[in-house]
Amino acid sequence: MIVVEGLRKEFGQLTAVHDLSFTVGDGEIFGLLGPNGAGKTTTVRMLAGLIAPTAGGAIVNGHTLGEGSQRIRALSGILTESPGLHERLTARQNLAFYGRLYGLRGDKLAAAVERYLGVVGMLEHADRRVNGFSKGMRQKIAIARALVHEPEVIYLDEPTSGLDPFAAKTVRDFVATLRELGRSIVVCTHNLDEAERLCDRIAIMQGTLLRVDTPAALRRHGRNASVRITLNGARGPESFLDALVAMPAVLGAQTRDGDLLVELTDPPLETPDLIARLVAAGARITEVREEAATLEEVYLRLVGEAGERDARALTGDEEAA
Amino acid sequence: MRLGYVAAVFGKEWRDLLSNRLLLGAVAFPALIFAAIPTGLVAFIQARDLDPQQLGQIQQYIAAFPNVPAKLAAQAFIITNFMAYFLLIPAMVPMAIASQSVIGEKVARSLEPQLATPLEVPELLAGKTLAAALPAVVATWAVFGLYGLVNGAIADPRLTRFVFSETWIVAMLTLVPLICLFSVLLGIIVSSRVNDPRTAQQIGGFVVIPIIGVAVAQFFGGQATFTLQQVLIGDLLVGGLIGVSLVVGAWAFDREAILTRLA
Repeated sequence: MIVVEGLRKEFGQLTAVHDLSFTVGDGEIFGLLGPNGAGKTTTVRMLAGLIAPTAGGAIVNGHTLGEGSQRIRALSGILTESPGLHERLTARQNLAFYGRLYGLRGDKLAAAVERYLGVVGMLEHADRRVNGFSKGMRQKIAIARALVHEPEVIYLDEPTSGLDPFAAKTVRDFVATLRELGRSIVVCTHNLDEAERLCDRIAIMQGTLLRVDTPAALRRHGRNASVRITLNGARGPESFLDALVAMPAVLGAQTRDGDLLVELTDPPLETPDLIARLVAAGARITEVREEAATLEEVYLRLVGEAGERDARALTGDEEAA
Repeated sequence: MRLGYVAAVFGKEWRDLLSNRLLLGAVAFPALIFAAIPTGLVAFIQARDLDPQQLGQIQQYIAAFPNVPAKLAAQAFIITNFMAYFLLIPAMVPMAIASQSVIGEKVARSLEPQLATPLEVPELLAGKTLAAALPAVVATWAVFGLYGLVNGAIADPRLTRFVFSETWIVAMLTLVPLICLFSVLLGIIVSSRVNDPRTAQQIGGFVVIPIIGVAVAQFFGGQATFTLQQVLIGDLLVGGLIGVSLVVGAWAFDREAILTRLA
């Protein structure tokens, strides 16, 4: 489990991240989404015990950043932004080197190397030097390197970058199995679709956290959730509007493109009652689906608003000066 | 410091070096050149007699070998005087390996995954230092051994005794490893601050200037080779420089500074 409290990092005059507080549970995949320079890599580097925070702190599986950083590094596996492999060594030698750095020796080391070369589908290339590998093959070896010591906490920076769709799915499936094993996993990604499919919760950040929630809740962020209902029958959708607006859960209702569009506060909870009411009123329903914003829309809105706030703050500062 | 971690880094660096033919050439070539020049001169003198006029010109030098014939004294002066240049091997070679090792890893971005493991920075540096210094020490010792044996074989067995003198055995066992260590530390310090191996080697190249200066001063001073006292003073001097380099190196190779300077 990772507990982050008020984390802040400054590089000289530049504040890379500030006021960062969140938790990542055991068996949870936590996504960090943000534009370039948002502080995702800095955050991961701090949590992995690579660099020290300027203020605030974190506890990773019971070890405090700073005094427990070496222990944190031992129990963490990190897939860095760039694979950073040793070009003149073979894939097997690369993994064996890192296995040794994580304290594996002898048969245990050989078995771990073999296992993770197999997991990423690189056994047949195990004894080739990595300087002849494609980008995707390097990424697979880097993933295996992050996992070779069976870490309790895993940080993955763009895990499927450079991978073909089949390999990307293999990696996503494998990460999902790590969740089943109770590992805490932090994924940095620009791939919104991947974040939505893989992560239990997503933090949208730009210097600080703008929003943390489940993908479904994020998609509803900033607007009422709507349910679109397609009807089939002689009666038009407008004939049901009066029946709907009388329901306490309904915040608004209208017709759009021949369908009913109903705003609710909590669609999963309220939709069954809504359908029951419509059926009782004589509606013949063929389809019901939630109308939510895409994660991309929410992401762009939140990051855009943050950018505007920063620009206003800067202008305000300059005017004040 | 945990030896298992140092050994892991050393093993990786050693594998890396053995697979890099260009770098292996950079280790072997200077050592052979420094040995080949005086050996060629000894062979040249052996093949033909020096005339009295030539002997008169080098009288000052061959006087250092009073109990041997003039021709052998001239050969002895050449082989012992050139031995100062053997100290250039431990100065140059580890610098090339160390700067390639650190900057190569910075460029390949392979330092970050290593620093993300439980490996401590001193363990990383110790492994890299040993891996960079050992080839130079071994190359110097090997060439030193060959130099003494080959010159004894092609000219006079007494030349072997002049090469394997007490002074030079002490120099090989103390001064050579110390210069290697200093050169590696300098290479690491410079490499942690720049991102281009050539720049690092150019900056680090200044380390050879004092050694060349000593060798040239020795020649013009009419001294055939170092005395034991001079070797011991050299040991102290280089030892002091290593102490300073360790302090500067610990500051320069800070985990955070290395990571945030990678971009």
